[in-house]
Parts: sequence; structure tokens; C-alpha cells
Amino acid sequence: MPANIENNGLFPTILASTVHDIKNSLSTLLALIRQTLAKQNNCSDDLNQLEFEAARINHSLMQLLVMYKIDSQKFSLLIDEYPAIDIIREAVDQQARLSRLNNIDLQIACDDEVMCYCDYPNVSNALASVLNNALRYTKQTVLISVSEEIGYLRITIEDDGEGYPEHFLNADLNNMADLDWVSGNTGLGLYFVSVIAELHKRGDVCGYVQVDNQSRLGGARFNLFLP
Amino acid sequence: MSYSLAGKNILIVEDNPVFRKAMRDMLYSLRADVVVEADNGIAAIDAVAKSNFDIVLCDYNLGPGKNGQQVLEEARHRKLIDYRCVFILISAEQSTSVVLGAMDSKPDEYLAKPFNAQQLMSRLTRHFERKDYLANVDKAIAKGDLPLAILLCDQLLAVGDKKMHLHLLKMRAELAISAGDFDKAGQIYQEVLQHRELPWARLGLSVIDFQNNNIEQALAGFQSLVAENPMLMECYDWLSKTYEALDQYHDVENVLQQALELSPQSILRQKKLAETADKNGNLEAAEKAYKTVVKLGKHSVHRSCSDFAGLAKLQAKTNASNEALKTLAQMREEYANHPEAELRASTLEADVYKALGNEELSQQALQKALDLCGSLGNQTPRDLQLEVARTCFLNDEHGRAEAILQDLIHCHIDDDRFLDDLRRMQSGIGMDNHSEILIQKTKQALIATNNQGVALYKQGKFKEALDLFEQAILTMPDNKTIIVNMLKILIHDLKANEFSVEKNQRVKALFQKAKQAGVDQHKLGILQMEYAKLRQSQLAKA
Repeated sequence: MPANIENNGLFPTILASTVHDIKNSLSTLLALIRQTLAKQNNCSDDLNQLEFEAARINHSLMQLLVMYKIDSQKFSLLIDEYPAIDIIREAVDQQARLSRLNNIDLQIACDDEVMCYCDYPNVSNALASVLNNALRYTKQTVLISVSEEIGYLRITIEDDGEGYPEHFLNADLNNMADLDWVSGNTGLGLYFVSVIAELHKRGDVCGYVQVDNQSRLGGARFNLFLP
Repeated sequence: MSYSLAGKNILIVEDNPVFRKAMRDMLYSLRADVVVEADNGIAAIDAVAKSNFDIVLCDYNLGPGKNGQQVLEEARHRKLIDYRCVFILISAEQSTSVVLGAMDSKPDEYLAKPFNAQQLMSRLTRHFERKDYLANVDKAIAKGDLPLAILLCDQLLAVGDKKMHLHLLKMRAELAISAGDFDKAGQIYQEVLQHRELPWARLGLSVIDFQNNNIEQALAGFQSLVAENPMLMECYDWLSKTYEALDQYHDVENVLQQALELSPQSILRQKKLAETADKNGNLEAAEKAYKTVVKLGKHSVHRSCSDFAGLAKLQAKTNASNEALKTLAQMREEYANHPEAELRASTLEADVYKALGNEELSQQALQKALDLCGSLGNQTPRDLQLEVARTCFLNDEHGRAEAILQDLIHCHIDDDRFLDDLRRMQSGIGMDNHSEILIQKTKQALIATNNQGVALYKQGKFKEALDLFEQAILTMPDNKTIIVNMLKILIHDLKANEFSVEKNQRVKALFQKAKQAGVDQHKLGILQMEYAKLRQSQLAKA
């Protein structure tokens, strides 16, 4: 092993393979937690929390891997047309435990026939991480809705929590430097979804993300626009 | 939970006991009752060979032995799973090579670990819905009944389920291509593209260009597809095929290299690279590729003794005789009691020992090869027959060599690419243009027979035309042009004259033969459609 790995450009590769390795361990960990959970009939809060945290780590790692691939130009989208409801279902299914854990009323408003033109796994993963946030910060209800706007499909996630903090609303989501990486609430999930959105193009138009506190439920509102 | 897997026959393939148990528990929580487990690839293949599964959940990494992708490839290749089975490939890995490799083998679904019961159930439900919806079409396709598949597909399209619409259109266009109906397919792709820029529709249009022999246009199309969709492996395959049609073998090699950098597990692509690099005289690259093929072949249904032979031949070419002999020994170990492998080994040994100056061993090997070649007869692959002929020439067994070549030329006179291989072989041993006269004569004979037959056919003399071709096929067995012509005549005969069981059987046998000889699917498809129409009106009359 060379003394200075960074000069050889090896560091990203080591990072990526380590992340893969951790993901394998994490999958085993999650499997064991679920087995233990299944054995205990009276649901243990600690175990539930454990599962939730493990799933969250997995999500961050997955995003990190995609970022790494984008950075090293090994990434491109695989685009086709899918029913929007399938993409939302996938995100909701991924977060199923969290919504049950916190007894949250998760509502979906999406017409069966609305089609979405996108990279299925990446968009649903990105939505799942936004949904994860909404489920953690909401009081009671989260609403996912889909609407067709001129030139775009809009996927909205709204909650009835406190809303996004002021500094967050003013930040440029597409700019890594603008995000608060130090204080802990990094917004990796939002950065990730905006990167993925931007890769969706139709002619000169590309996808984007918008966040505000105009939720119909009174809290935060997230919008993903796909061309 | 309202979901249920009750009554579904399910197979779990997973080497890690913790995951296996987790998966089993998850399935039980979804009310599954029939769950079979396999902890390695071979056990998985045994299981699917023994019973029909509705669902196979197969992990990608299965420890030593076959991986999940190889299990799926083998199951598909050997037709061990049918169109109703939902095959899900699972992996914790998300590296590009694993994901693309997995997609290459076309599972119904690729699922990233970890996942939960809801995710699994949603995906299964979606596939069951789709498979139920398309069951009749899929069944017709599986049975090779193209006309029925098209009819059923059109019926579903007329119903107009919006969720299935695009999927159906894609299927319908592919069926049209199989049926040689490029206009219809092109029309569908254009229609789809007007609505959305979808790579598969773009690809379809270029495939049609290729089939219609608009090679330059096809080339431009495939090039831009690869540039814009670097993860769509199919585009690389078509692009390399197009370069091949243009005889640009260095470009073929480059495209395959590019594809293999992204998805290095594909044994067939790797094999193609090895052969192409060898043709291009790029021996180092060829040797490297052959070594990879041999390694990948260890657990693959696509493995072949010709992979070892290819490697050994290269080693012999670079004067690494001992390496070559080692490779052949390894090949004999892996393919014990396998006549084709033994023939390949002996043929090469004759070369290698000659190069080493050991005439006696060389002669022994050649004799063995000739004996084996005699007993294998028509079953000897044509590339191997070329090898044997080459070795015969080198060892002054000209008579044997000429006999083999004559057969090969007669059988494959309408395959220019193979004739080029034959010419290349001869140039390689300093016999440029050796068989040119025979090739030209055979070509002319084919053209003459063809013209004569077509003339008879046009005069309505079906029987005479048919007799002529029957005669011709004795000297040119498996000749695609003749088989297709005979089919055309028979079908028109059935149309014009009365129907007979005998003629009908002959048509069926010829279809079978055409498939075996490797006639292009769309050329066969046109005839199948015509024949189906005929059968229908026949049945209506009866």
C-alpha cells in the first residue's frame, strides 16, 4: 500500500469498497434485528429504534455510493416510463416501519394512470430519504401527492411539523458548499435528491427540487419536479 | 396485512444462513407456506429442474461456485423456469459491474439488500399483476406461436389499459420485428418517440435500420445511443454487430472492450472479444480475454471446451508450447470423456508437437484427431472442422483436408462470414486462394439451382421446383437459402392446390430445420405468419 493514497487517487476507491463492506455487515445486522423483533411479541421500542437507525445508516451509505459513482463518472441513469404510484409505493414501503412506529397517518394522493419518466430505483430511493425526514419531523400526518404541471411531473411531500429552518430555506440545494455539513443536519438526503433530479433531462429542461413551508398541512413542503 | 403468498411455490437461494432465515421469516410473515431453500448455485439449479416455482429469490453472491447471475442464465438457457415464474435477483452490492451484470441476465427484478416485507410484496404483486395480464401472450411466445402472440397482443392493446400500454407496445414492436414486419415495428417506435424520448424505442428504430441493411444509418443510431445511454448494454452489442457487418474488426474490439469494462462478467461478450482480438492479430489482448473466458466458464452454462482450445491455440501461436500443453491438460481434466474436447486437444497437440520438433507425437495426435473427426461426423462444429483441415494440410494429409473443406463449402456456401474464416485459415498456412475455384463453382451452382427453381415456381410447377431443391439439398445440406425457398414453395403450393397432411408435415419439418440451420428469425417469421393465415382459412373451410 502506497504511503500517500490520496496522491494515487486510490482514496475514493477504498472509500467505495469500504462502504460496500459496511453495507454487507449492515444487512446482516438488520436481518438479526428483524429476527429478534419477530421472536418478541411485545414490540420492544429499543429494537425498533435499532432497526430504524440501521436502515437510516444504510440509506446514507447508498447515497454516498451513488455520489461516488457520479463523481468518478461511473454513473448514468437508466430511464423508462413507470406508473408514478409504483415509485411512491416503493418509497413508502421502504419507510413502512417508521410510519407505523410513530403512528403516522401517511396519505397518498396519486392517480393510478399518471406515468413518470425516470430512473426508478434512484428516484424512489431519493424520495424515501425525504419521506424519512418528513416522518421524523411531522406531528401526525404526511401527505404525498402527484400532479402534472406544464412540462413537468410534480411529486410533493408535505407534513404538519415545524417546517424547515430558515437557513435551510435560504440555502441553494444544488450547491454542496451552501449546505450545513458541520452542524449534523447536513441535508445529504436533499442534496442527493436534487442531484438525481438534475440528471433527469428533456431537451434543455432538467429536473429540480424546491422546498418551502407552504404545506397544506401546516409544516414543511418538498417538491420534486421531473421533466 | 392483506398481502398473502399462500399457495405460492417459493425458492430461496442464499448461502448465508442468517439471511436465509431472515428471508424465510419474511416470507412466512407474508403467509407463504411452500418455501424451498438452496444454499449454493448447483442446489438451486437442481431445485428448479425438479419443480416449478412461482417465485425464485436468489442472492447474487453465493460463495464459491455459481453466482446468482449464472444460476439465472443457466435456468433460462436450459428452460428450467417458465414464463410464469418471477425471478428476483438480490444483492447488497451496488457496484456498477454487479448491477449491470445482473441486468444482463434479465431477472424480473433486481432488489437491493436490505429490503423489508412490504417492499418485497409490492414488487411481487406488481409482477404477478403484469404476468397475469400478459399470461396468454407470454404462453404463445413460449410455444413459438408468433401469429397467436401478435393477435393476443393486439387484442390487449385494443382494450387500452394505460398502465400496461407502453409495455404492450414494446412487446408488440418486438413481435413485429420477429415477424419481419419492420414497417409496423417502426411505426410503433415512432409513435412512442413522439410522446417520449425512450432509449428502447430509439434502439428499436436502429435495429430496423440494421435489418433493412441501412448499415450506415444504423451505425449512427447505435453510436449516439451508446454515447447517451452508457449503461444500456444491449446498445454495445448492436454497435459491435454493426461494425462487424462493415468488416471493421478493430472497432468491434474497441466496443467490446468498452462494454466489458462496465460489465466484466459477461462470458459471451468476453468470448467474442477473445475471437475478435485473435482475428485482429492482437494476441496479447486475445490471450487475456481467453483466460477470463476460461475463468468465467468454470461455473457458467455458456462454458465450452472451445474456450480452452482458443487459449491453447494462442499460446501455441506465441510459441509458448509448454503453456499450451498445460492448458490442454487442464481442458482434458475439465472435459473428461468428451469427444469434442478430445478432438480439439488432439488437433492442437499435433500442431504443438510439430513445432517442438517431435514428429512422432505429432503424427499420433493427428491420427487420433482424424479418427475422432470421422466418428463425430456432422456433429463436429464447423470451426473445429476448419482446424482439423488446417492441421491435415500442415501434415501433408491433403486428401483428408480437401474432403473436409469440400463438405464445409457445400454446407455453408451462403455464409460469407464463414467463407472468410475459411479463406483466412488458408492464408495463414500460405495457401492463399486455395479453395477459391471450388467456392465460386459452388456459389454458381447454388445460384443456378435457385434461378431454375424460382423459374419453375413462377410457372406454377411447384412439384418440379420442389424436386429440384430436394436434389440440391442432398449436396448442400443445411443450406439456408434452399430451405427458405422450399418453405416458400410448399406454402404457396398449399395455398394454390389442395391441402395434404403429408405436405403439411413437410412444412413443419422444414421450419424445424430452418431454425436449426439458424435462419434469421424475422425471415422465418414472415413465413410463419403466412402459414398461420393459411391454416386458419383451411380450418374455416373444414
